[in-house]
Amino acid sequence: MKHDQQINKNNRLNRYLISWPPLLFLLVFFALPSLIMLLTSFRFPGEFGGLAPIAPTAEETNHEYGLTLETYQFFFSDIIYAEIFLKSLTVAAITTLICLVMAYPLALFIARSQKRFRNLMIMLVILPFASNFLIRIYAWMIILGPESAFSYLINTILALFGIAPVTLLFSSFAVLVGMVYVHLPFMILPLYTNLEKHDPVLLDAAQDLGANSWQRFWRITLPQSLPGIFAGSALVFIPVLGMFAVPDILGGTGDILIGNLIKDQFLGSRDWPFGATLSIMLTLVVLAIVGLVTWLARPANRQTITNDGT
Amino acid sequence: MTFNRFIRPFILIFGLLLLVACNGQQSSSANDGSLGTLYLFNWNNYIAPETLKRFEDECNCRVAQDYYSDNEEMLAKLAAGASGYDLLVPTGNAMDTLIRQDALRPVDKSQLPSFKNISSAYLNTEFDAANKYSVPYAYTLTVLGFNYDKMQQLDLPMDSWAIIFEPKYLEKIKGRITVLDSQRELMAAALKYLGYSVNDNNLDHWQQAKDLIIRAKPYWATFSNTSYIRELAVGNIWVAHGYSNDLFQAALDANNTGRNFSIHYATPKEGAVLALDSMVLHKTGLRPDLAHQFINFMLVGENAAELTNLIGSGNPNQQAIPFIYPELIKNKAIFPDQAVLDRLEMLQDLDHKQRRLLSRLWTEIKLR
Repeated sequence: MKHDQQINKNNRLNRYLISWPPLLFLLVFFALPSLIMLLTSFRFPGEFGGLAPIAPTAEETNHEYGLTLETYQFFFSDIIYAEIFLKSLTVAAITTLICLVMAYPLALFIARSQKRFRNLMIMLVILPFASNFLIRIYAWMIILGPESAFSYLINTILALFGIAPVTLLFSSFAVLVGMVYVHLPFMILPLYTNLEKHDPVLLDAAQDLGANSWQRFWRITLPQSLPGIFAGSALVFIPVLGMFAVPDILGGTGDILIGNLIKDQFLGSRDWPFGATLSIMLTLVVLAIVGLVTWLARPANRQTITNDGT
Repeated sequence: MTFNRFIRPFILIFGLLLLVACNGQQSSSANDGSLGTLYLFNWNNYIAPETLKRFEDECNCRVAQDYYSDNEEMLAKLAAGASGYDLLVPTGNAMDTLIRQDALRPVDKSQLPSFKNISSAYLNTEFDAANKYSVPYAYTLTVLGFNYDKMQQLDLPMDSWAIIFEPKYLEKIKGRITVLDSQRELMAAALKYLGYSVNDNNLDHWQQAKDLIIRAKPYWATFSNTSYIRELAVGNIWVAHGYSNDLFQAALDANNTGRNFSIHYATPKEGAVLALDSMVLHKTGLRPDLAHQFINFMLVGENAAELTNLIGSGNPNQQAIPFIYPELIKNKAIFPDQAVLDRLEMLQDLDHKQRRLLSRLWTEIKLR
């Protein structure tokens, strides 16, 4: 009895020991910066950019100081900011969906290949990371450009159906292509990690019980891979929401996203408090979505699906 | 051909400089007999490598350069605590900010015998009345670049902002135009076209400019600050709102790759933005003596000319003219005559309330 308690105590101690590095990481790299952002969002912008002092200084008595709700008033005073949020969320959702549809078959294929080929294929998935992200996006500028072979091919096919030629570069389409291209590996990797661990015996058993290939996928593989889908979707959805480089380079005249707007506040407009306000709002939206997804994917919900599947 | 002549030694010397820099770091603890290091915070590609090398030989010192690609970035880095730079090369409005922040050291003109080489047209600007802090270095104009052959073919005007704002012209070149992705520059072009000053901050005038931009926007391909150089040079874009030195680069590229069209650029008759970059001494610099030596070196005509020959920037130095390629001297978008000069304006800084309002207009422009 006493011995058992000792073990329990050790376990608890071990758990604390193991969990403090990630906790510390979250504290230093998420909680603290978010707090600084939150404080920044309530301050006045400085005359030359940066922030106005919190306390009045001797030389600049007429300058604004202290804390204010001004930036939040400004945010809610105009519908365009809500529109940009909605637009960014839409782009992020579409990108995530396309990534999922493209990544799932590939991840499944890799996971079901012979073991000696798997590592090679995963390496090929990761290979694009070897070159700089911006260079790969600039390469898409050439691929989608009006004089490119790809554009020529697309427009030749469209002409067969009597459709007028289209410009691919500098459009919402180009932005989606760039977003999907950049984030696809982030969907493939967690899906593969999940699918690779599935026990093939379950599929054999289902087949013995008369399930066809579609039923086997729908009732065994898919429910088991839900954690992989959620992980991959989060890894794609959240970075896409903050992305500014892809719309900057590939987008047309109307492809501004929330990331571009935040970047503009810190550089072009030198309005740190408003940039911080936008960032805080974005963080809140992301937290709300992650909360919702976590709730949907909570063990109780998943249990019923798994039970159903097995 | 000329492009290769420029670029090859540039790459070579840049490589060598890298090697030297790497070696230099290793040997810096050992006494190599040099008289110290001048820290220069400069625009990308804003000094000819051979000029730099000659200065290093002359002063028996090293020049360490850090780079920025816009004034905001430079100001932001200084605000975040970057220090130890002897020399900065800000544009007028950024220099104004630095002066008001009391971040600059006055220039001692007795150490600058070549100061007299600067043309009076570029002295005593509104930002630094008696050139107490600044010595003009180079300038660019924000102008329009054209695919000359296409413009001729379509019979479109090349002397007015109307080409990027008026639907009757835009219809013929839909999707072949880029404008700068800069709130101030694009608003300046619209304000100039409407007959206002680039520094006009009347909200009604801003609204008019915004409406003008939103009306023209469906005809534009994109907002672009750098990629237009290539797009213009390969023929994808026919009209670009851009900086004179970038358009110089595009014209050179199109010429050197043997395209069957040529790139021209011109200052619109309504006027345009002039960006004058000046050398200033930052207070945190440890070597004002070397900084003065550098400024005086750059004021010598031959040295100043090398930058213009390299990147097509405007040159405020009268003694540089004989050393500059004649075809550049003739270009009015590089060397504006008095008539053009009278219609050029320099951008002044906005205060933070105006910046926030302009940013909202800009967001609207981008979203609609």
